[in-house]
Amino acid sequence: MNFIVVLASFPQLLEGLLITLALSAASIVGSTLLGLLAATLRVSRVPIGSQIARIYVEVFRGSPLLITLLFVYFGSAYAGYHMNIFAAAVVGISVYQGAYIAEIIRAGIESVPPGQWEASKILGLSNSQTFVSVVLPQTGKIVLPPLIGQYIALIKDTSIAFVIGLAELVRQGQAIIDRVGQPLAVYVTIAALYFIICYPLSRWVRGLEKRSQPA
Amino acid sequence: MSNLEPIIKLAGVTKSFGAVQVLKGIDLHVSEGEVLVVIGASGSGKSTVLRIMSGLETADSGQVWVNSVPLHDPRRAREIRGHVGMVFQQFNLFPHLTALGNVTLALLKVRKLSAEVAKKKALAVLDRVGLAEKAGNYPSQLSGGQQQRVAIARALAVEPTIMFFDEATSALDPELVGEVTSVMRSLADEGMTMVVVTHEMSFARKTADRVVFMDQGIIAEQGPPEQLFVRPQNDRTKQFLQRVLEV
Ligand SMILES: Nc1ncnc2c1ncn2[C@@H]1O[C@H](COP(=O)(O)OP(=O)(O)OP(=O)(O)O)[C@@H](O)[C@H]1O
Ligand SMILES: [Mg+2]
Repeated sequence: MNFIVVLASFPQLLEGLLITLALSAASIVGSTLLGLLAATLRVSRVPIGSQIARIYVEVFRGSPLLITLLFVYFGSAYAGYHMNIFAAAVVGISVYQGAYIAEIIRAGIESVPPGQWEASKILGLSNSQTFVSVVLPQTGKIVLPPLIGQYIALIKDTSIAFVIGLAELVRQGQAIIDRVGQPLAVYVTIAALYFIICYPLSRWVRGLEKRSQPA
Repeated sequence: MSNLEPIIKLAGVTKSFGAVQVLKGIDLHVSEGEVLVVIGASGSGKSTVLRIMSGLETADSGQVWVNSVPLHDPRRAREIRGHVGMVFQQFNLFPHLTALGNVTLALLKVRKLSAEVAKKKALAVLDRVGLAEKAGNYPSQLSGGQQQRVAIARALAVEPTIMFFDEATSALDPELVGEVTSVMRSLADEGMTMVVVTHEMSFARKTADRVVFMDQGIIAEQGPPEQLFVRPQNDRTKQFLQRVLEV
């Protein structure tokens, strides 16, 4: 393994890293908003809305991310709408991860005791006021650890955008390998970069879990 | 509404959960300013009656009038919201809000008071339950008795016409029961209409205008406390009182 060669190409890796970070950040925002919307619809028991949310969750939890991504990218082109690669990756990953995040948030919402709804109802709060002012704030603390866990999975999954040609970290690494060889050194470096991003997050999760354990 | 017209009227109220009929025809009137204590064995339907009167459950049949709202009419039932108060066994305080936040929430969101006015009002109510200096504490930083007093303050802040208490002291350590019952007693003295489910027989004796004994989904006996506790007519009442007064 010759890391000197890798070092010479490091700026290129950093470019990929930046794209991976941007894709991760945008997808975290997108999937969280989608997940929150789907979870809200699902617990709302609004007839059609909650059905749509349920189908959404089932469909995307039951299909590979790779297929979702290819479907978004080539499907949109087929429909005559040419998406840029980065946007397609954000949409594909957000839609896919949003299904998991919806379930995490829904579990959090449902873990708030019914007594909280009852107390609010008697005080005169509407269901939506109760949801926003009483239930969601309590949900935050409960869902944060599994949510961050899901974000870690999301960050690692961004590497799949490789297949639609996005110049993210892995694809840049591949380009370096194609040019100068040294696959092992490049892969180790890439793995180390992912680790540097994800490890603090998983430490954070562990800290949160330890703190929320009943004394 | 005249003072003679009951503020709560239940007529022929039934309620089933699945195949189990929990209420088998409840008729009950409560007058304005009256303190009604409901006693009875576990599972006799006390909470269910209270939850129907407060609008948390709907009766399967019969009529329920509370504060001139026909709760048996699904189109109008929600009018009761914000006009009655309920204090729960498990407090049901909002854990993410301070005592002050708990009390102001409905004032801000339902009454649409300004933050300043709501705060002033909330502090006054907290003071009434003796907790003005704990306004900034979160529920987890309060004792059970203090938490329940905050819950009472939260309910009182919206100026309900009736207060319901469902075993408000059952979750408390014995030494903390008194601080809650004394707040309840002072409310009764001020003329609040109250329906109180409790196992505190001494509270019932001292504070109730009338005591209702529920047994297996019906009202088996009712009367003023001196009559019901001293000369119960019904055998089931006698058995129940023997059991609870022994311990
Ligand atoms: N939501 C519900 N679903 C199913 N069964 C219920 C429900 N609520 C109450 N029950 C049943 O109805 C019966 C009466 O319950 P209720 O809570 O009114 O009794 P209670 O007199 O308040 O008893 P306790 O002293 O234990 O609080 C019980 O058998 C209870 O299991
Ligand atoms: Mg009960």
